[in-house]
Amino acid sequence: MSTQNDGLVDRIGNVGRQAIGNGWTTERFALLGLLALVVVSVGPQFQIYLFTEFLIIALFAVAFNLLYGYTGLLSFGHAMFFGAGAYGLAIVLRDYQSAIAEIVGTGLAPLATFVVGGIAGVALALLLAIPVGYLSVRLEEIYFALITLAFGMLFYSLLLQDPYGLTNGSDGIFVALGGVELGGTQFRLAGRRIYYYITATVVTISIYAIWRIVNSPFGTICKALRESPDRAAALGINVSVHRWMTFIVSALFVSIAGVLIAGFSSVATPNEAHWSMSATPVVATVIGGASYFGGPIVGAFLYHYVRWGISRFPALEAYWELFFGIMLIVVVLYFKQGAAGGLAMVGTWLQDVQAAYDRGGANAATAFVRESIGEKLGSMMSRSTTGQSDDGGTDR
Amino acid sequence: MNPVNIFPLIGVGDVVIGLSLGSRLFLIAVGLSLIFGVLGVLNFAHGALYMLGAYFALSVVTNVVGNFWLAIVVGAIAVGIVGAAIEVVTIRPLYERAESDLDQLIVTFGFVLITHEAVRFIWGSQPYSTPMPDALNFTMSIGGSQFTAYRLFVIIAAALVMVGLWLFIKRTYFGSLVRGTSSDREMASMLGVDVPRLYTAVFFAGSFLAGLGGALAAPMQSIGPNLGEAVIIDAFIIVVIGGLGSLSGAFVGAMFVGMMQSIVPQFFDAGSIAVPFLAMVIVLLLKPEGLFGGIGE
Repeated sequence: MSTQNDGLVDRIGNVGRQAIGNGWTTERFALLGLLALVVVSVGPQFQIYLFTEFLIIALFAVAFNLLYGYTGLLSFGHAMFFGAGAYGLAIVLRDYQSAIAEIVGTGLAPLATFVVGGIAGVALALLLAIPVGYLSVRLEEIYFALITLAFGMLFYSLLLQDPYGLTNGSDGIFVALGGVELGGTQFRLAGRRIYYYITATVVTISIYAIWRIVNSPFGTICKALRESPDRAAALGINVSVHRWMTFIVSALFVSIAGVLIAGFSSVATPNEAHWSMSATPVVATVIGGASYFGGPIVGAFLYHYVRWGISRFPALEAYWELFFGIMLIVVVLYFKQGAAGGLAMVGTWLQDVQAAYDRGGANAATAFVRESIGEKLGSMMSRSTTGQSDDGGTDR
Repeated sequence: MNPVNIFPLIGVGDVVIGLSLGSRLFLIAVGLSLIFGVLGVLNFAHGALYMLGAYFALSVVTNVVGNFWLAIVVGAIAVGIVGAAIEVVTIRPLYERAESDLDQLIVTFGFVLITHEAVRFIWGSQPYSTPMPDALNFTMSIGGSQFTAYRLFVIIAAALVMVGLWLFIKRTYFGSLVRGTSSDREMASMLGVDVPRLYTAVFFAGSFLAGLGGALAAPMQSIGPNLGEAVIIDAFIIVVIGGLGSLSGAFVGAMFVGMMQSIVPQFFDAGSIAVPFLAMVIVLLLKPEGLFGGIGE
């Protein structure tokens, strides 16, 4: 046992040393992210609450971007799987909690129901994603966006109409996560801190899983499809089957976010599946930068915290959508790589400033700064679209 | 529901209501289809423009002159100008980009958010209703069903717009420029067509039609900030069923959705949402280019 522990500690130490040695590597970012997750957990209740919601939106957006940023398909119906996750949990919680309690005992029942409900939500999304994905990926671009929108709204109208008496119509289903008694200690699953730990763990594991997928041969094929479906097909890739698989994987991770939002907001309503909910990951991804893995996370952070910042000024609070509309347009027109691209650009620029300083001291550095800012402003003024470089970014 | 009993339930009144709902949707869908057919832009903000038309007409009627007919014209022209401004400022810079379809969709979605909030800022969140013009504010009765004469007027107006637009595109010089540019942009540009200016003009025309739809439909519906969101999805369904870029397709699709909205809720509530979306899915799967042909057909 002790050798294993040593190994783990050693390995963490190695990752840390490597990270510092190599500069701003992915590992270093990941370590900082994990540290941030821990730091938030000791913060005030409201900040924990806000951060939990941000994490759920971030997972929603990252899973959506697997399809949009990596495979080049804009889905306007992903709220369907978000809603499926939420309703899976809600229905299991309402109808089967007592049955589960008989099997595992009342102390553990709420936790077991949450797990079973989560699995049910993901399974429901899988059941939907297989046929919907199969039919949708036959179409491209605008047509793909439109058919996913139509499927999403069909699901929404099913939730609203409630033909089988399962969904409780427009009122939705109340989701009450109970108290767990485990080995003498008691805690409430819905307690803000506990729910934050659950969310942080699930979201971190999910995003790591997506990261692994993106950096696997599967992810490489996705990128090949985005760049040119014809060339990918010429290489022997079955384009529609691969798109179908990506659709299913994306839907599964979105449904995990849906399960989490139902527990978070204590209710599952048809609104979770409405097309305007599908717009949330689109906005977050575009603002953050679709061509970076972390772009949707940055975008979700901006989306969520700008909204919170605005809400502190009552005069502006009612009109927060206005800011997002303007932000969206400015980003699409001027920052093709989103906020994450902007950050990367600033990073490269700072390195160039450093290089100039190394070459010729402070004077060279200031000259470089003045020159590059002038250039940037000039190109923004003339708005020449011909020079648009699409250099992606390092984390693609 | 026994199928034999269904037909007596559908009266002439339901058909007139369905057609009038279809007519207002036709005016928005035909503009959307025109813009897509010529520019290749799926304008998400089109519903917002329709809503602006309703609000502009409302303001002119209640605050400025009180003349309903003038309000319709002023509202439609003002919306056309807003649309042209959107095109020049945000859509024109995107034409040169490769694969700009999704960028354009997202930019116009940004305008949905902006217009929604701007309307709430200027007019507030409360619903308004526009009074019907006195000349048409009487009840007609056909076959035992009753409806206001205004609904019949809206149907006739939409049919006139349909015919006028068809003649305009088929028979005028400008119409042939539009058709030529929609089928081959490079060739039109080489032959001396000022493509960017033509695009702005088409965007103006499409927005004008959306504004006209909003202004005409103002007395038939309650006007609130969510009006745009509701109609844009209907318009998407219509242009998909009829075929993106097809004018006659927009007409048939609009009448279909209008009839669904007036008749289906009598049998099952959410069916009016589900049935049009089901039709949209089926058309996309079987005939993605829609049931009708391209521009001018």
